Amino acid sequence: MNTDPTPPDMMRRRLFAAGCFGIGAATAGFLAATLRFLVPNVLYEPSRRFDVGAPSDFAPGSVTFLAERQLYVFNSVDGFYCISSVCTHLGCNVKRGGAGFECPCHGSRFDDNGQVVDGPAPKPLPWYALSLTPRKQLVVDLDQSVTPTFRLRA
Amino acid sequence: MKLRLPRSIWRVGWPATDKDRSAAMISSLFLHIHAARVSRHVLRPTYTYALGLIASILFVVLSITGLALMLYYVPHPPDAYRSMKDLQFVVTFGIVLRNMHRWSAHAMVAVVFLHMCRVFWTGSYKSPREFNWVVGVLLLLLTLALSFTGYLLPWDQLAFWAITVGTNIAAYAPIVGDRLKFLLLSGHVIGPMTLLRFYVLHCVILPLAMVMLISLHIWRVRKDGLSGAEAHASPVEEVAPGVFPASSKTYGLMALSKRTRASVEARNPDDEVFAWPHLLYRELLVALAVMVALHAASLTFMAPLEEIADPTRTPNPAKAPWYFLGLQELVHYSALVGGVLVPTLLVLALLALPYYDRSKEGSGRWFAPERRVANSIFTALAIFFATLTVIGTLFRGPNWAWVWPWR
Repeated sequence: MNTDPTPPDMMRRRLFAAGCFGIGAATAGFLAATLRFLVPNVLYEPSRRFDVGAPSDFAPGSVTFLAERQLYVFNSVDGFYCISSVCTHLGCNVKRGGAGFECPCHGSRFDDNGQVVDGPAPKPLPWYALSLTPRKQLVVDLDQSVTPTFRLRA
Repeated sequence: MKLRLPRSIWRVGWPATDKDRSAAMISSLFLHIHAARVSRHVLRPTYTYALGLIASILFVVLSITGLALMLYYVPHPPDAYRSMKDLQFVVTFGIVLRNMHRWSAHAMVAVVFLHMCRVFWTGSYKSPREFNWVVGVLLLLLTLALSFTGYLLPWDQLAFWAITVGTNIAAYAPIVGDRLKFLLLSGHVIGPMTLLRFYVLHCVILPLAMVMLISLHIWRVRKDGLSGAEAHASPVEEVAPGVFPASSKTYGLMALSKRTRASVEARNPDDEVFAWPHLLYRELLVALAVMVALHAASLTFMAPLEEIADPTRTPNPAKAPWYFLGLQELVHYSALVGGVLVPTLLVLALLALPYYDRSKEGSGRWFAPERRVANSIFTALAIFFATLTVIGTLFRGPNWAWVWPWR
């Protein structure tokens, strides 16, 4: 006589439910893995670190706009520094104008140091680190932000 | 004998009697999205203004013209721009097809929005159609997404900067914003991979989603019947509480369902007319009118194509597509509030609407007095957004400064 409280039918049903759950979980995991597929591993983009020329290419006291790099390079009395031309609001290129920079898209204005003066921009324009290669070329690193006190003697 | 081939395709010949007309509607895969008989009331053009129908027609036009354009378009810069130039100046009728695709897309955004307004103002989202309203909101979002992804494809200055502004708005979303932008662009900047991603979204993924949701949307309209039919039906005496006299309409689940019929449009057979010819004839007329209007627009107005995309030079002002200019105007005050908070809350409010407005009063009539509060709020919001859009489109010049359009 069978004294097992679980009838064989229920066993079968539970096993079936466990199997369905397992396959469902595996499918969900696979879908999640497929989401990762959407994230590119290699970016065929311009390098985030690049050289912009010799210090002597920039006249003392000048501001040079490197359109390709979306950068302003300053050669001030204290040294070199560079400010991004990409507006922190929605990514348009700011232009020199007024007392600093002006954005053509939504009218944000920045002072000479890239600090927000007016308009919807939430953050100042980023400053990026400059360095010198052994061959005396100026190198910008877009992954390395610096404060507006940054100067490079060259 | 002569009729064997056509009869094997169309079970019913050209129908001469109402019985055959019903059979023709029911036996055809394409026609049976209509009921065989429809309420007289909902056929009145001033009830629906055929906006849902026009939106569907525009989708069909967009699919066909889009497929044709795909034969020449190369989704890789800078060939993408070159192929647009070819379509405009080299390919025979290319410019007409492109214009038609562009103007249909603009029209579809406008018509889908108006369709939503109509459904709101007639209270048609009320029970049992709550979920179909949700599907409708998703269709509006899909329409906007399709339009937005299509906007980048010409790879001209207009496209590049509109998408720059648009994807940067996405980056303002809390926590996931930057990842979302990275996923959309497939990188940090708009480049070849972005174009490919937008192309696949625009030509395959989003249209497939659209077809599925449109099918669901129409299926549910078909099952629930058009709103307003009940309200305008002639009164029928109840035999017992909740029980109405048997109708000519049956559902085929009599053994399972206590209800006399599943689809309640009109309670009285006299309130209904046959879909063939009354509904089909009207649909044909609307389709013809839409086609005439689209052809007139496409032969008269040229879709804009500016110079090739130049990431180093921002046009002044850089504007998003017109239907996003209301948002851009808000974004001009604050990117987080205007670009993320307001649209998210609006969409959530729209999605949840039928579940918090649960009264059944005032459904199926335009501007029912019982719905004065709801209609006022919705109308105020619609006017507010329309005003922002007009300001963004006409009254904003270089540096987003105020300009008068007539100067």
